[in-house]
Amino acid sequence: MQSANVLLKKIIRNSVLPFAAQHGMKKDLFPLSRTLSLSLCLKQDNSASPSGKLDLDAWKKVMKSGLQEEVSETVSEQKELSTLAAAREILEMWRLAGRSVPENITEEQLKTFMECPSKSAKKKYLKYLHLKELYKKNDKRKMDEKRERRLETQKQASETGETKRNSFVCLWANAMDKAYSWRVAQSMIFGQPLIFDMSYEKDMSVREVANTVRQIVLSEGCNRRSVDPFHIHFCNLKDDSLYHKEFIKHYRGAWGKLLITVTDQCYTDIFPKDKLIYLTADSPKVMKTFDHDKIYIVGSMVDKSIKTGVSLARAKRLGLETAALPLEKYLLWNSGAKNLTLDQMMHILLTLKDTGDWKKALEFVPKRKYCGFVSRPVHELKKTLNLINTLKLGKRQEEARRQFAKNYSKKLTQK
Amino acid sequence: VQPPEKPLQAEEWNRLRESFQSPEIFEEVMFNSMVRYNSPIDVAKSLLTHVAKSNGDIAYNLLLKYLALCVQQGQTSEIRDVYDIMKIRFRILESGAYNLLIKGLSNSDEWRMALTLLEEVKKIMIPSRINYESCIKAASRHQEMNLAFELYHEMLAKDLVPTLDILQAFFDFSRGMKGAELQKELFGILLYLRENQIYPHKTFMRSIKLWFESIPGGNWRGHLTNIKDSGQCPVCNHQLEDSDLTEEEYHNLRERIIRDVIHGTDTFRKTSPQEFEAFQTFVENRLPFDIVIDGLNVSHIKPRRLQCENLFDAVNCLAKDNARLLVLGRKHMLINSSNWKREIMKEMQNKADFFFAENISEDDAFLLYATLRSGQHCKFVTRDFLRDHKACLSDSLTRHLFRKWQRGHQISKKMFLSAFIQQPAFSYDCVVQTTGDTWHIPYKDLFEEKYSYRVPRKWLCIQQQ
Repeated sequence: MQSANVLLKKIIRNSVLPFAAQHGMKKDLFPLSRTLSLSLCLKQDNSASPSGKLDLDAWKKVMKSGLQEEVSETVSEQKELSTLAAAREILEMWRLAGRSVPENITEEQLKTFMECPSKSAKKKYLKYLHLKELYKKNDKRKMDEKRERRLETQKQASETGETKRNSFVCLWANAMDKAYSWRVAQSMIFGQPLIFDMSYEKDMSVREVANTVRQIVLSEGCNRRSVDPFHIHFCNLKDDSLYHKEFIKHYRGAWGKLLITVTDQCYTDIFPKDKLIYLTADSPKVMKTFDHDKIYIVGSMVDKSIKTGVSLARAKRLGLETAALPLEKYLLWNSGAKNLTLDQMMHILLTLKDTGDWKKALEFVPKRKYCGFVSRPVHELKKTLNLINTLKLGKRQEEARRQFAKNYSKKLTQK
Repeated sequence: VQPPEKPLQAEEWNRLRESFQSPEIFEEVMFNSMVRYNSPIDVAKSLLTHVAKSNGDIAYNLLLKYLALCVQQGQTSEIRDVYDIMKIRFRILESGAYNLLIKGLSNSDEWRMALTLLEEVKKIMIPSRINYESCIKAASRHQEMNLAFELYHEMLAKDLVPTLDILQAFFDFSRGMKGAELQKELFGILLYLRENQIYPHKTFMRSIKLWFESIPGGNWRGHLTNIKDSGQCPVCNHQLEDSDLTEEEYHNLRERIIRDVIHGTDTFRKTSPQEFEAFQTFVENRLPFDIVIDGLNVSHIKPRRLQCENLFDAVNCLAKDNARLLVLGRKHMLINSSNWKREIMKEMQNKADFFFAENISEDDAFLLYATLRSGQHCKFVTRDFLRDHKACLSDSLTRHLFRKWQRGHQISKKMFLSAFIQQPAFSYDCVVQTTGDTWHIPYKDLFEEKYSYRVPRKWLCIQQQ
């Protein structure tokens, strides 16, 4: 061992390069100068190895060396960068620093980023892009995995020589589409109208409009697949509005072929006022039953900043009747705003239309927002809740329990 | 992970890395904990050396974390070295690195370099106020007050809000210095506090006091005191400014309340044009009122009593000196119910004017309008802090006006047994103020004490002898 060491030292002293080569340094990766400096550090290490002395600044040499060619590159490159390119570089540095920044960013996104009014807005936008990118990557990975699996099973199937026998030609999707279209076409003649009020563009940010349109596209999809669809109207939809652009982005060629009514007129111009009911969470009136003769209006608005009373104001201005869903009456509300997304509204309205069953309809309210369904009148439920609380607190435990038992037995006998 | 206490050899690092559950982020986690435990810098260096040797490169985020450790321990030469390395390695640096570098260098002898770094930051973005804080503190620590003030004005021009530390640094480092220009700048800071309704905390107040007393030939004396309810300073018997707005301010505030709070983006959101018009004519015909009462708010002060009884107490109590009262409510109060007895309502209507808004309208907006329309002497009663209405005002100047007006005109109230006790609005304005040879500065006892509705009761009185 000792002799080997001596030998090594000799070699190092004699020439540096062979040593590096011997040790399998990543020679091809590094330019000459770095190898040199690295091996020099190694040499120092070796000479002091028994005592375990470390050259603590060795990393600096590594970082400083081997960069000559890169430096010259930067010098030769033009110094002036356009603001966009500069922003791109900053983003790259942020990514290296470990912030949530997307790997790839388009020109358009970069411009939006630059137009953000504040630092926090910029940060938020970048995080949004970053998450979007992550989701996309994940989806792609899953798709690839799926494809591989499918290929494998196909291979196995071909190996075993088994073929599937099927009486139907595989035209399911196509046939279903046709059937759905028939139904929606019928509803356009005989169906109950449902209005989306597209007049909130100026109350929303660009991203909110995009979200709104996405929700409406989902709603339209679920309406199309329902047994008895609504006849959907998009009212107050101006050409070349943001809404319109977003719709075309989503539907592309299908936009012209959708079985819905699109108009830039207001609903009050199309329908008699006394038939219209504006649905808004701010309404003081609570909906009791679903009326098949009325025409319900849903405001196409996503308000992340909780602008209360915007749609109620609109209905007030036009002198329309308003209504809110009876969420309080049927659900023990937990947290979250009472305004629901447009597709949830659509699910709820469709279910009400088909069944009239509130419990079934309100299943579509997100579960996180409520604790459970109210099976008994609310005040009674609150009484039990209070009882439970006193039990928890341990105050007059026995008495409370007795009372609870008494109440409970009374209820049983009543039934 | 607990970082090791002594620098490790490469093999030892390798062993540690292997035993770590997710080796790919081992270095990052290790550096983080080094920063947290404030490990000796040599340990970090040995890890860096290990990384450099095994990868031939050190990632930017690791350099950044190492830099953070150096800054934490004030290792100036190391900071310089890391900066040099970053400079050759990367074409530009991002804000995180600059923040650390500026912070680290400004505390050292090489503080001028922090200034050049600040210039570099300006090329890519607006520096943060913390960046400015470091540089200003460094400059004033080295008695370069002109430079410090230059930076201070620069950050104000960029709409950055200076930290209290910056302002305090000016007072701390100007102590005993001569110069009319300097004095003017420091008075300017006090006026900045006044305009933005900022209250200094105790240590900051002490810096102000010491600076005043140190002005050569100034003969300033400072005393800590409490101002009497009448608004008189017990030390110098000076009467503090009242909280009345000037005619112009008052007019502006009224216009802005109508425009931003009542109408806003859509008049229908809070009321309706017809209703507002009706209310306006109602108010015009009965002007001026002395006290405007938010009926629904007052009716909830004692939950055990009937709501109309609460309101009845308040009206009785306030109606004593022939004051003209206006009670705002909603239409549902007129319907005879368990909470709103018709007879009591009738009796109250003999003592005060009542306006009932629609059940879905906002009565607060009406409260503000009626009070402002009646003139400066008119007060209003509500427990509400009116924050949401203040938030509707679009610029900070009007919001400050609103706060000042609110302080002087809102009657907050306490319930004591069954009696309704008025807590009078402040008769003086709680803000930094001067008459030339006196200064009165309100201050907070604690640094964190921060309720927007609570104003300090303690004052610093400074007078020239």
